[in-house]
Amino acid sequence: MSDLDRGRGWRRWLDSRYQITPLIEFLRHKEVPKGPHSMFWYYLGGTTMFFFVVQILTGVLLLMYYQPGEATAYESIRYLTTKVPFGWLMRSIHCWSAHLMIISLVAHMFSTMMLKAYRPPRELTWVTGYILFALTLGFGFSGYLLPWNKLAFFATSVGTDLVKSVPLVGNWMLQVLRGGPDVTANTLYRFFGLHVVILPLAFVALIGVHLLFVQRQGMAPPLGAKVAPRGMKFFPSFALRDLLLWLFCFMVLLVLAVFLPYGPGIPGMDWELGEKADPLAPAFPGIKPEWYFLWEYQLLKEFPPHLFGLEGPQLCLLVVTVLLGIWAIIPWLDRQARRDQPSPGFSDFGWGAILFLTFLTLKAWDIGASGPATSPASLKAISWICAWWTIAAGVVIVGVRFWVHHHRWFFFTGAALLHVVLHGLLGLSYLVAGAIAAILAVGVVTACIFRDRRRQANAGGSR
Amino acid sequence: MRIFSLALCPLVCIFATAVAAEENPLASSAKLTGLLAAAGPDGKPVLSPEQRTYFDGLNDHLKALLTKAVDADIITRADHLGSILALGLRPQKMEVFLQDNCVLCHTDPEVQKPETFFPLSQESTNSPAHHLNLRDFVDDAHFRRGLSCAGCHGGDPASDKLEHSFVKEWPGTGRDKDRGWVLSFCARCHSDPTFMNRFNPALPTDQLAKYKESPHGKLLLETKDPRAPHCVSCHGVHGIRSAKNPLSKVYPKRVHETCGACHANAETMAGFKLPDGSPLPTSQLAEYRTSVHGRALLERGDLGAPACNNCHGNHAAMPVGLSSVSQSCGLCHAGNASLFDGSKHKQAFEEHKWPQCAKCHGNHGISKTHDAMLSGGPRSLCTECHQQYAKDNPECTATADYFYASITHLDESWNRFGVIAEQLAMKGLDVDPIHDKLNELADTVKQARAHVHSFSKNSFDQVAAPGNQAMQSISTLVDDAKSEFRLRQLGLLTSIVLMGLVMIAIYLKLRRLERQEDRSHQ
Repeated sequence: MSDLDRGRGWRRWLDSRYQITPLIEFLRHKEVPKGPHSMFWYYLGGTTMFFFVVQILTGVLLLMYYQPGEATAYESIRYLTTKVPFGWLMRSIHCWSAHLMIISLVAHMFSTMMLKAYRPPRELTWVTGYILFALTLGFGFSGYLLPWNKLAFFATSVGTDLVKSVPLVGNWMLQVLRGGPDVTANTLYRFFGLHVVILPLAFVALIGVHLLFVQRQGMAPPLGAKVAPRGMKFFPSFALRDLLLWLFCFMVLLVLAVFLPYGPGIPGMDWELGEKADPLAPAFPGIKPEWYFLWEYQLLKEFPPHLFGLEGPQLCLLVVTVLLGIWAIIPWLDRQARRDQPSPGFSDFGWGAILFLTFLTLKAWDIGASGPATSPASLKAISWICAWWTIAAGVVIVGVRFWVHHHRWFFFTGAALLHVVLHGLLGLSYLVAGAIAAILAVGVVTACIFRDRRRQANAGGSR
Repeated sequence: MRIFSLALCPLVCIFATAVAAEENPLASSAKLTGLLAAAGPDGKPVLSPEQRTYFDGLNDHLKALLTKAVDADIITRADHLGSILALGLRPQKMEVFLQDNCVLCHTDPEVQKPETFFPLSQESTNSPAHHLNLRDFVDDAHFRRGLSCAGCHGGDPASDKLEHSFVKEWPGTGRDKDRGWVLSFCARCHSDPTFMNRFNPALPTDQLAKYKESPHGKLLLETKDPRAPHCVSCHGVHGIRSAKNPLSKVYPKRVHETCGACHANAETMAGFKLPDGSPLPTSQLAEYRTSVHGRALLERGDLGAPACNNCHGNHAAMPVGLSSVSQSCGLCHAGNASLFDGSKHKQAFEEHKWPQCAKCHGNHGISKTHDAMLSGGPRSLCTECHQQYAKDNPECTATADYFYASITHLDESWNRFGVIAEQLAMKGLDVDPIHDKLNELADTVKQARAHVHSFSKNSFDQVAAPGNQAMQSISTLVDDAKSEFRLRQLGLLTSIVLMGLVMIAIYLKLRRLERQEDRSHQ
């Protein structure tokens, strides 16, 4: 007697029509690989998706009251948060969940990077995840303008202005993005359409592909390990653990939403409605984007207006594009991981990237500013304090990797820390310090690659 | 036919060239072209790129005027031309400038002596010989309307002859000894309504009449005191600007400096006395700068705040009389003045010949009022007079105490509820109704403070009573908001407990499943 025959009537009814038995059998036998590494990293994709579902649900509820338009957007959000029962809670959860989703997504991406889960045959899973990350940032950027308040208006003006730096088509792209030369109600309509229709459709479609890849290929086993002799059953063990974590996440979300309804109050993580946008008012100083764009905002500030015959923002955009491009094609660059061997260089590249982003973000927060953040004394103090914080973080990271994980490859982390020391402590300009650190890192890494190849060649010859 | 055509062609060319020369005066000005292209000893062009760009942007009419001046040898050198172009004047002003041979000659350093040269740079005006700066001159309100040198000094600006023919009001000698002539000099136009109407119909023409009646006028015209101010003392000479121009010496934010130039100078003011015979003080400017009015105008830039002339007048400037103090203050503080006029104090002040508002608030150094002025403490304003003239009147003390207690209570409540509203807002609660009521309360406090000037408990109560009602409403709204927040916390706690129970159930289920799985593997 098969399981199906033993099943309840509804299951037989469904199976006779939709043949669900193969699916049930697939899920019953699906396993998550166990290994010496922490299983925790396997849950981050699930938590990201959980926050996305929360976004969809609260977004739909917000949509019932939100009215896009210059005369209605701000007013409808104000009405929603002050008059509609639980409207404040929906907005608060929506905002918190957005930030937690990005945190979870960043952690998921870096864990994938460190565990080398992108190695064959999962390159396209990495690429789809990378695009999902870009779409999530698009969600953040487009949603930020929708309340049509003062901060959102000016931050969007500054943010969209960057598109101008794209060579040849920059001005055209700006027009398309804004629906005109300036941020107006047209921009609001565009961003609304983008936020509630285009991006969700693209995201759902892509997340379907991402999940399909994960289901077809299973979760990546630890590097170097053959398929675990005994994996964890996806149903019910892993799924129930997932549910447990989701419930915990939901509890955290609710506590944050009730006690900090406008965010923790740090720059780039604050969604108090404030005043309505006034396109005719002068932009106020100190406008900063959301925290996940702060590193790019700070990097733009580090570039002079003109360099090497290019405009500063253009060059900055080029650097960012190159870095993000490298990040996107890592599965093909990491040859050792492709051979299922440890690739400490790429792990170190990931940690170097974290330190690079940390230093820029701390600087953008003006940590250590004494007086107005634009004065030379303040800028120096900010660089100094942020450098020490980053160095402290770097030392902890290097220490843990060295003593706990027995890593011995620190060239990129070293370059990132050298950059921080040269700029923050010795007062060199950010770009000069960065260039010295980058040249040193590239030089040493190239030398290592040649040395390894020579050794391999020698080893091959002696054999 | 071909021969005829060949003969006609040169004729057509000559005619076309002549027409072109007529339309484009530059075509005939080799001199101007030479000046424009002139190079200095270092081989670089004398004219800066900005000056050249400005020249290129001039219309044909202005270029023709410039050509005429060059051809008439009034402008002979490139640096002279450059200094004119460097002014960057608008076309209308440039037209006036280029048609005025006085200015064109006096801007040429090669031709003029240092004392008759009109320099361009601000630095060169530091020399006492230079009383005219060209930039000030072209910014003058008169120049803009076509009134240049000859407008005041006489002569023919279109003539290129080196002669002057001054107007009869311009004294040939002794101009510095008695400045009384300045009045009639300016009044030629400024006291003529028909003439002034052509330029600015809104400008009054009674300045001279007012001035003659003022202490300044009497000092100049009757006492012949050389220290007496006249038109030029306040308005300047060759850089006279409208009072609305921030660079003007009579712009509201600069009036205190203009008046203070004499009134804050002990040397200048030596010998002047008050009606009681005491020396005229020179502390007014220092006091004004630190007063509420001075700070509002000078620090906050509030042009509605009074300067010297708002209380003392301008052309008819005089001390504010005893009876006109409340009139003067009442121009802005109308409500307070009206309340005071209807109070018991009005009569008492008149009997004692006290200067109403100034008796309590002072004059030039009016400081910010505070509620402690009503208290019975050392900062009280009432004590000094009341101890002398109404010592045993319990009603006065009771009323002052009542005012003080009521206002401080309302004010403290407003502050306290303001802080609470901020805290509630940070918790995400709807505080709009609280802010509405807080605004009502703030209005009440403001009105209550003003109604102190009625010195009447009944009048005061009429405005203070709504404040007490607003306070009650705020208190209720705050309690409601706090209840709402408690409800949210309770809801959160309930949700967490329920979710916690579900989590425990899941955990137990997981443990059971894993034990079963372990057993089945064993």
